[in-house]
Amino acid sequence: MCGITGYIGPDDTGRIVHQGLKNLEYRGYDSAGIALTGETLTLTKTAGEVDELTAPQSADATVGIGHTRWSTHGEPTETNAHPHTDCTGEVAVVHNGIIENYDALKRELSEQHIFQSETDTEVIPHLIETHLADGISLLGAVQRTTEQLDGSYAIAATAAGHDGIVVAREDSPLLIGHSDDATFIGSDATAFIEHTNRVTYLESGDIAHLTTDDITIYNGGEPVERSTDTLDWDAEAAGKSGYEHYMLKEIHEQPRALRQAISGRINDLATSVTLEVDLPTEYVQSIEEIQIIACGTSYHAGLYAKDLLETHAGVKVTVHIASEYEFNGDRDPWRTLVLAITQSGETADTLSALREATRAGARTLALTNTLGSTVTREADDTVFIRAGPEIGVAATKTFVSQVATTTLLTVHLGQVRGTLSSRATTEFLESLRNLPGAVQQVLDQAPTIKRAAETYADSEAFFYIGRKAGYPVALESALKLKEISYDHAEGFAAGELKHGPLALVTPETPVIAILTDQAAAEKTVNNVNEVESRGAPVIGVASDLAVTSDVDTVFEIPACGPLEPVVANVVLQLFAYYVANEKGRPIDKPRNLAKSVTVE
Amino acid sequence: MKAVVLAAGKGRRLWPLTENRPKPMLPVANRPILEHIIDALTQTAITEVLVVVGSDRDRIQSHFEDSYGDLEISYIVQEPQLGTGHALLQAESHLGDSFIALNGDRVIDTAIIDAVIDRRKETNEPVMAITRIEQPNQYGVVELDRQTVVGLEEQPHPDRTKSDYINAGVYAFGPEIFAAIRRIETHGEQALTDALDTFIDDQRLEAVRYRGTWLDVSEPWDLLTVNTALLGTERSSNATPESATIDPSAVVRESTTVGENTVVHPQAAVLDGVSIGDNVSIGAGTTVKNTIILSDVTIKSETVMIDCIVGANTTLGPNTTVEGGHADVALSDTVHHDVTLGGLIGDNVAGGGNVTITPGTIIGNNATLDSGTYVSGRIDDRSHVQRG
Repeated sequence: MCGITGYIGPDDTGRIVHQGLKNLEYRGYDSAGIALTGETLTLTKTAGEVDELTAPQSADATVGIGHTRWSTHGEPTETNAHPHTDCTGEVAVVHNGIIENYDALKRELSEQHIFQSETDTEVIPHLIETHLADGISLLGAVQRTTEQLDGSYAIAATAAGHDGIVVAREDSPLLIGHSDDATFIGSDATAFIEHTNRVTYLESGDIAHLTTDDITIYNGGEPVERSTDTLDWDAEAAGKSGYEHYMLKEIHEQPRALRQAISGRINDLATSVTLEVDLPTEYVQSIEEIQIIACGTSYHAGLYAKDLLETHAGVKVTVHIASEYEFNGDRDPWRTLVLAITQSGETADTLSALREATRAGARTLALTNTLGSTVTREADDTVFIRAGPEIGVAATKTFVSQVATTTLLTVHLGQVRGTLSSRATTEFLESLRNLPGAVQQVLDQAPTIKRAAETYADSEAFFYIGRKAGYPVALESALKLKEISYDHAEGFAAGELKHGPLALVTPETPVIAILTDQAAAEKTVNNVNEVESRGAPVIGVASDLAVTSDVDTVFEIPACGPLEPVVANVVLQLFAYYVANEKGRPIDKPRNLAKSVTVE
Repeated sequence: MKAVVLAAGKGRRLWPLTENRPKPMLPVANRPILEHIIDALTQTAITEVLVVVGSDRDRIQSHFEDSYGDLEISYIVQEPQLGTGHALLQAESHLGDSFIALNGDRVIDTAIIDAVIDRRKETNEPVMAITRIEQPNQYGVVELDRQTVVGLEEQPHPDRTKSDYINAGVYAFGPEIFAAIRRIETHGEQALTDALDTFIDDQRLEAVRYRGTWLDVSEPWDLLTVNTALLGTERSSNATPESATIDPSAVVRESTTVGENTVVHPQAAVLDGVSIGDNVSIGAGTTVKNTIILSDVTIKSETVMIDCIVGANTTLGPNTTVEGGHADVALSDTVHHDVTLGGLIGDNVAGGGNVTITPGTIIGNNATLDSGTYVSGRIDDRSHVQRG
């Protein structure tokens, strides 16, 4: 799991590749490196963050490639950092993905080649070296090499004395950026978005040769045409706008993100929704089950969606952790809709589950934030959550936008299936409309939340409890805290507390209770009493203060109907942020984590 | 050249709207005052804007992010806030030999920026833009000797007003200004105007006369007049956005502006002088005139709303009446006679049906108004108005 970037153009190559890595740091940041190539090859690496890497200089360099790493094979050391080279030191390769047969290849190559690192990647430069020795071009050498590789990869290779960069893609994301006088490559557009928003997405099996004045793309040995798209992001959307952390910036962007999520999709006058999906009426009416596949925060959004869809669209819903997913149980693929939720659209576990569903013959629908991402090409249909770029590793605005968008989907499916009453429709649409304002109201209370976070920051552990729609919010809020503060935090269905976890509760472990509408607060109050009698301090989030009489700290939120638990999540995002900030954690780059996880 | 925009001020006279956002973020013609200012900078020699922000900076940062058009935008935090001179000092290390400084709460034109830049280039002296207005004694009145400022008096007595010209709050400076600011301190604060007043005792301050748009928002009703002045000009877009829904039976006049994703229900009338923010719902049969409505507001059916300002995320029930017109309004210690203000309603207010709001009423944030109540005067934040 890593980020790769590259540059061919008239400006300072070292500086531009270095900046590209900086932009991609959210994909991995435990080691980094850059290779500049011309008649010779100049290599710079570090076993740390990109900031610790000095932008290299080379007088004769015409191209540069760079890599920022999140370790899978081998520790984050300078030796294991990319770019990797061959025995001659003339071939440089950066790679994102996993070479599954590297062990066999390495054994074979070891007779004539000396390996420096423990990575799977290093077999690639040595293979290229072998083929170049036959006197063929770098393009030919990479083509032959990819025929020997099994696994997923996006690679970029350069060689001293060879013109340009050769890139190859198999599953792992890779795109080309075009400005007026330069060409860029990146694992995603963030790498070069300040230079251009014109991009070409490569497809699996594509190999491209990029030179100063030409780009040629091949697939299966034949030249192919790939279209150029214009992204509607701009560079400003990837800056921090004066905030200390991307996460805080993104938390504050939520009212706007939510307005975008619903913009033009709610038809108030007809009380209906418009989603840009093509699901035939007969098909929607015939669905027996919706399977949701997702990981992490997206999985929690999936659990929230299950509650909505089962209640209001009258359909059985199962939510699957993508890495555990199998299409089994004698389900009828013709009557199963598989909904893949992934912010980046590149999550390897989710893509792999999606392929399993496609193989089984089920219709697939993607819910993602990223235009042009792999999931949008592999699923039958896509709904975008329109949250805008999210850089902070801990997902915030994309969770609320995912829930808002699945709410729209619920209304759409419920109306087509005739299971949604007109009263419920109105309630949902009002709730969606009220959500941005309610979230803004919570953001305006940030100083109060900050004070509470400072009070509880030194606790031993944090337990989050909720019921119904409050349960996924408890899970998600606990995940936020553990991701960025490194505290032990767990979310539980409130009723489960007494079946085991209660043994963990002490006066040093605050319990955060979701006591909102749609979360069976009156029942959760009993669990609040259970933990209070063990001496644990209780933090309650509620709009109706009648349920908070036994609570030590109350976060009052505005009433917001069916989506009120989402508003509670925003409070707890801020709570997690301020706890982590109080502890001085690197909030945008939590240890061991990366934004979009493109390995299984 | 860089420009420093001073946007850290509190704007207490615009309570309750300034509780949740700084004064430069109050909208006129559907854009924050500060956006009108930054927009005026885009057509000039300015390439980078430093915005000095205070404790409410989230709203500014989330709105502008890191750029506006071709302008690069960055933020400097002033904490604590000890006056406009102190604000400018915070930016000192980022500024070169010549820069523009301006207030973040007055709507101005590109011409004023060009004029101060040109004069600075000609003379290499500090420059202040001045403008002529009808009641100069509410501002800093400037005494002139041809092209030079020789006297500066804040809010002089009307009988002692030395000219019709006031300090427009747009300057071109070099590093010399920082020494002048450091020399002064009054009651623990450093005001830029105090520094200039001392500065002109022994140094030259160039005056540039300016005749274009100069609109100040000091009191709530100024929002309505400034809004009306900008609607129908190039600063306001009267095209309805694609994401907005307007029922064919509703009337939306041309000199209005409607935000993204806003819906206007059947038979509603959105008349002259109205700005409606994003994600607002205007109920069936409701009439709105000379009114500013912020984002995420819900106005139910059959409501009348004239000369009114409605804060964000507020809900008003059916048959609410804000009849509009003139009233005497007390703000802090001063009573303002006969001003046009139908009502100022804060953020997150929840109103029931059949509420009547009398002219001059100011309702605090998060207040609730029971159905059928008759509301007047000043209602504090989080109050609950019950039927008596």
